[in-house]
Amino acid sequence: MKSFLLACMAAVIIATAAGFALSTVQKPADAAYSTTGVRL
Amino acid sequence: MARLFAQARFIIGALVFVLALAVALPASAQRNSDGSVNPTASSVKEQQLLGTLQRGGSINGRVSIPDQKSANLIHPGGRDWRHFHEVTLRWIGGIAVLGMLIVLVAFYLIRGQVKLESGYSGRRIVRFNAFERAVHWMTATCFIILAITGLNITFGKPLLLPLIGEGAFADWAQWAKYAHNYLSFPFAVGVFCIFLIWIAGNIPNKVDVEWVKRGGGIVGHDHPPAYRFNAGQKMIYWVVVIGGTLVAASGYLLMFPFYVTDIQGMQLAQTVHAIIAVLFVAAMLAHIYIGTIGMEGAFEAMGEGTVDHNFAREHHALWLEQEMARTGPNESQRQPMATPAE
Repeated sequence: MKSFLLACMAAVIIATAAGFALSTVQKPADAAYSTTGVRL
Repeated sequence: MARLFAQARFIIGALVFVLALAVALPASAQRNSDGSVNPTASSVKEQQLLGTLQRGGSINGRVSIPDQKSANLIHPGGRDWRHFHEVTLRWIGGIAVLGMLIVLVAFYLIRGQVKLESGYSGRRIVRFNAFERAVHWMTATCFIILAITGLNITFGKPLLLPLIGEGAFADWAQWAKYAHNYLSFPFAVGVFCIFLIWIAGNIPNKVDVEWVKRGGGIVGHDHPPAYRFNAGQKMIYWVVVIGGTLVAASGYLLMFPFYVTDIQGMQLAQTVHAIIAVLFVAAMLAHIYIGTIGMEGAFEAMGEGTVDHNFAREHHALWLEQEMARTGPNESQRQPMATPAE
């Protein structure tokens, strides 16, 4: 049980770190593939 | 002087005529022979479309936004890919996952649980240490979430959406995609660790051939000898290492769109990712079955790290001999007796 809980904690920590790393190198699709201007 | 004016008048007249002709030509091209307007005269020709279809290319327009990929109007190859992920993949995934479930249920009903024939001896031997179990459970936990969220991408729309409605499905699918993306990292770390810590025991050898010939103790009641990992476990190991590497690599190509490859490359990556993933899920269902209800005493190995001596003798006799020779005959008796996980 201890190993399982440690494993879950490790997964969450690595996933959170990956999330922060991804957000620094990537933009959401609505920002990456458009401009700030409005088109009518 | 009059002659000069006449020449100038002629040149100007000629220029005006040429200019008028140049302006009139496109307008005449928009008209049919009977003088009526042809609104599609300047649109894409059928021959052009056929040529594009044959070349596997695309027809592009012109856009003013920075991403010029959005100028792609028609990409005929995309239709094949759409058919794959909307139809073919669902058949492959359905047959693989449901087929494996049916086989396992049938196997359980026919064969039943593989019993520990000599019973529990009460003597334990360490099978996996704490680090090995932590790596296994980190990879396994991530895999289960990745499998559920991944299957949602393929089967969620036809199966789940009608049950829970558009709003709930949209929220679930969005969070599922976040989980799929972020948990891929600990999963990939886990696969790499698994590769490193168990590679030594998973190189195929002659014992594996004999193990397979004798049905591995799964079919029938024979107990062919095996070292730490038998041939079945080695197959699972290589499915995890090779399959895990392929799904991770193809998944990261999709997570970083257009960083490495173009749209055709990403369609190929998605195809590889999806097919390997559903086969991976099917293989892991078999692994989960044999590691839990399929074999008496098996779960304890990864659950608490030890197995009964009789379990080791019946399923990993050569490994038990090695361990006894290494630690001495009384070493294993110091392990606490565990309750069978049934």
